[in-house]
Amino acid sequence: MHIPDGFLDPYVCALTYIISAIFLVWAWRKMKATYPRAVVPLLAVSSAFVFVAQMLNFPIAYGTSGHLVGGTFLATLLGPPAAMLSMTIVLLIQAVFFADGGISTFGANVLNMAIVGALSFYIVKILSGSSKSRKRFVGSVFAASWLSVVLGALLCGLQIGVSPIFASAGGLLVTVPAMLFWHMIIGVGEAAITTSLISQLVRVQPAVLNGLAILGWDIR
Amino acid sequence: MKESAKVLLVMIVGLAVLLPFASACPDGLETVAQNVGIGETGGFWHGLIPDYGIPAIENPYFSTLASGLVGISLVLIFTFLVGRVSTRKR
Repeated sequence: MHIPDGFLDPYVCALTYIISAIFLVWAWRKMKATYPRAVVPLLAVSSAFVFVAQMLNFPIAYGTSGHLVGGTFLATLLGPPAAMLSMTIVLLIQAVFFADGGISTFGANVLNMAIVGALSFYIVKILSGSSKSRKRFVGSVFAASWLSVVLGALLCGLQIGVSPIFASAGGLLVTVPAMLFWHMIIGVGEAAITTSLISQLVRVQPAVLNGLAILGWDIR
Repeated sequence: MKESAKVLLVMIVGLAVLLPFASACPDGLETVAQNVGIGETGGFWHGLIPDYGIPAIENPYFSTLASGLVGISLVLIFTFLVGRVSTRKR
């Protein structure tokens, strides 16, 4: 879902940069106010994990592939502000060093993956409520990670759809359904990987449960 | 710290093992673009390590693996620095 340079209208680039910047300022302030320095190693390792996972494309169908975005994974484990910063760093390294995702489209990519991914935290929250059931928690993570990919793809479809180079191809009417179609399938992969990661992590490293409890999922 | 090193090692081994199985097919967005006849736009920035390959290494597997290790290191260093300045002292 990394949008390369040249796909977006300059106005879309500017608007998405502004929206993303607002969220990142919020994330930074929230981090400064509530996150202790002890969380930094976990933050760094989680970002590195997401970078690795994004290199491993899995085949979907009809010669198309997808890969884990990892937004819901980070958000569930670290909370929305840390997930936003962590994913933004991964996207920045990908864009600057690997030309994976453009520079002009960086704001859009941050919005579609880092911001939407981090905010999927609240979908987990709404779905799992204050339930202590692990099953319900894992189910909520499954739904939230699927939705995070589909919502990100919807935004991406809107952004490319209103941009001139996709206009001659049919614009929004083509890009939105097409993006949704592929990412409803890719999202299943995202959800399957995210839920197995989280449930394995809880199983082999029960200390993670204390961290999750701080974020609001008390499933100890 | 020791825990983190262990997890990192597992990740690197995981990358080395899974890399040959990674799909080289276009992803969702690339497919959408190709279907309407839009290829690579050839942007103004080509990155320092384009396409996850170190040109000096001929073997494509080791080339991608090496670029992955560089990427992991960069992400670690950068997140560590940002993490240090964006968190509370205690």
